[in-house]
Amino acid sequence: MSDTLAAPLPGQSDRVVQVESLSKKYGDNVAVNGISFNLTKGEVFAFLGPNGAGKTTTVEILECLRNPTGGRALVLGYDVSKRSDQAEIRKRIGVLPQDFNAIDRLTVRENIDYFGAMFKQQLDADKLIELVDLKDKRDAQFKTLSGGLKQRVGLAVSLVNDPAVVFLDEPTTGLDPRARRDVWGVIERLKGQGKTVFLTTHYMDEAEYLADIVSIIDHGQIIATGTPDQLIDTHGGKKTLIIRDAGQEGISQLPPGLPKAELRNAGDIAIPLNNGELTNILISLAQTPLHDKEIEVRRPTLDDVFLNLTGRRVSEEGN
Amino acid sequence: MKSRIYTIISGHFKSWYRSKSNIFWTIAFPLLLIVLFGAIFGSGSTRFDLYLQNQDLNGNIPTPLSQGYVNVLNQTGAFNLHMVAAEQPDPLTFVKNDAQLHNRGQRLLVVPLNFSATVASGKNATIQLFMDQSDQASASLRGIVNSVTVSYAAAIAGAPDHLFVQQVGIVTRNIRYIDFFIPGVIGMTLLTTGVFGAVNTNGRYRELKIIKKLATTPLSKIEWILGMVGYQMILATISLVVILFFGYAIFGVTATIDIYTVGLVVAAALLFPGIGMVLANFVREAESADAAANAITFPMMFLAGTFWPRETLPDIMKVIANFMPLTYVNDGLRDALIYAQPAQALTNTIIALGLAAFFIVLGSLLMNWKEE
Repeated sequence: MSDTLAAPLPGQSDRVVQVESLSKKYGDNVAVNGISFNLTKGEVFAFLGPNGAGKTTTVEILECLRNPTGGRALVLGYDVSKRSDQAEIRKRIGVLPQDFNAIDRLTVRENIDYFGAMFKQQLDADKLIELVDLKDKRDAQFKTLSGGLKQRVGLAVSLVNDPAVVFLDEPTTGLDPRARRDVWGVIERLKGQGKTVFLTTHYMDEAEYLADIVSIIDHGQIIATGTPDQLIDTHGGKKTLIIRDAGQEGISQLPPGLPKAELRNAGDIAIPLNNGELTNILISLAQTPLHDKEIEVRRPTLDDVFLNLTGRRVSEEGN
Repeated sequence: MKSRIYTIISGHFKSWYRSKSNIFWTIAFPLLLIVLFGAIFGSGSTRFDLYLQNQDLNGNIPTPLSQGYVNVLNQTGAFNLHMVAAEQPDPLTFVKNDAQLHNRGQRLLVVPLNFSATVASGKNATIQLFMDQSDQASASLRGIVNSVTVSYAAAIAGAPDHLFVQQVGIVTRNIRYIDFFIPGVIGMTLLTTGVFGAVNTNGRYRELKIIKKLATTPLSKIEWILGMVGYQMILATISLVVILFFGYAIFGVTATIDIYTVGLVVAAALLFPGIGMVLANFVREAESADAAANAITFPMMFLAGTFWPRETLPDIMKVIANFMPLTYVNDGLRDALIYAQPAQALTNTIIALGLAAFFIVLGSLLMNWKEE
């Protein structure tokens, strides 16, 4: 990752997306406030943040759907603000808009062909259908599909021009856990094929599971960037020892000298762990009535990272 | 590579014919209306409609001899007599309009000024019968009028040859309600498929993010609009052909398809989607846009003379009807298809094309292709 915005020849750089001091204002409302980041070829980049943080605005600037009010953004070396460059960008990118639906009464295959016809070059529809695992639904009308299958059609449609970079805006929002996993499976396959993916999500687990690089955005500003592990190590806080179903009574049964424990909603006791303390704590717990309780060590997640950086959880904002 | 515009047209068309409700509203509903309205208003009477202008007045009262003649005509039971005021300066035009308005045959009998005096003086009096030779009723109607006239002359003067009927040919088409109605149904179908089609594709497709997705591809806004208009032209042609065929098969309505018909179909395929696009841009939510489309199309349908001639409307409504784009499409279609009035068809086609250009350009300018 680099902080400078060099001017590579279009299509010649490994830097697929380069963003510097990018801003977008609507009157007095600042949706995106001077953000900078790069996306390298072959990476899965997750733009993580709550609703209204500026994710979709940013991704739509990169997709040439919105014009920035400040800063600069290059996609594949082309400037998103230049009209002539926008035409080149549109040929080379794949987009799955948030809440996208294909055309109801066209079949899966027809929808892929429909959107494919917008490009000069298009991938074979049957291969895409295979990639998103929809062979059985090839001739089913879009309206008959479940939410998860619809989203997989959206993914196939976003890949129809064999794009150099795919923008997926909240690809699993509103899906049930199983359908989310299926969509993740498709994104993993893309990753396996070396596709560059720009993913926006407010699901911490999604970013953690899929992304090589995560940028956390809040109130239009990027507050942290790194691999999921780096972010967790740096901002996630300590690991936690969890004693299941111990309740208030369990707190009084804890041996003395432990770090301050807290009771969580389901009656679990949470004890923050410093490095090297785990063995001693387990030994001391073995001497108490809590010795037969289920115990686990929980690693911090990106949710904790967000909490530590902003003082609130993404889920507190209705997501 | 298939052309993008072709792909848009084909996508819309497939979506159309795969929806039963689309087929119903575009084809079955208009045909149903034709059958219903045709059955209710289209049945002819066994009596002949005959307009009669008695110019032979004494003051404001018909002279006894002329009134006697009218009474005899009436007593035959063969006619529905419709009196035309004696002071009506252009009775033929009046009859043409009124007959069309009330779905009657265009036939006029004129009892001349001084009829009574002429007969009384033993001179020959001439009664004029204005009628189209091609009028199917012409032979029997002429026969009845002639025999009534001869008998009356014999009765009042003992001289049957003192009165005779001069038949004056007029070129008219005996327009029935169904002839009037069918172009109206075509206009109505073009209106609804155009407005709702555009509201649907530009409102609902926006809500489903299909337009947003397309805007990230090399497809341009103009190509998208051309695709939509091309699709509307296909639908308009299908509607026209199906409705005219049905009208011919069931009610024997004969229509002439000419260059003005083509011009009007092109105008309608631009005009009504244009109106729909303007609506879809002002009312962003698809459901509200649908309601707005209903609010626009229904009054327009009734005011623009789809079901009944505009002459039946109150004066203020007639003025409003002049601002309804459908008025010109309906009138143009009637002039071109049924009335064979090329000059009027041309005027209406030009107005419709002008409105079409205005609305499609306005709709295109207003339509947000990007997300600002």
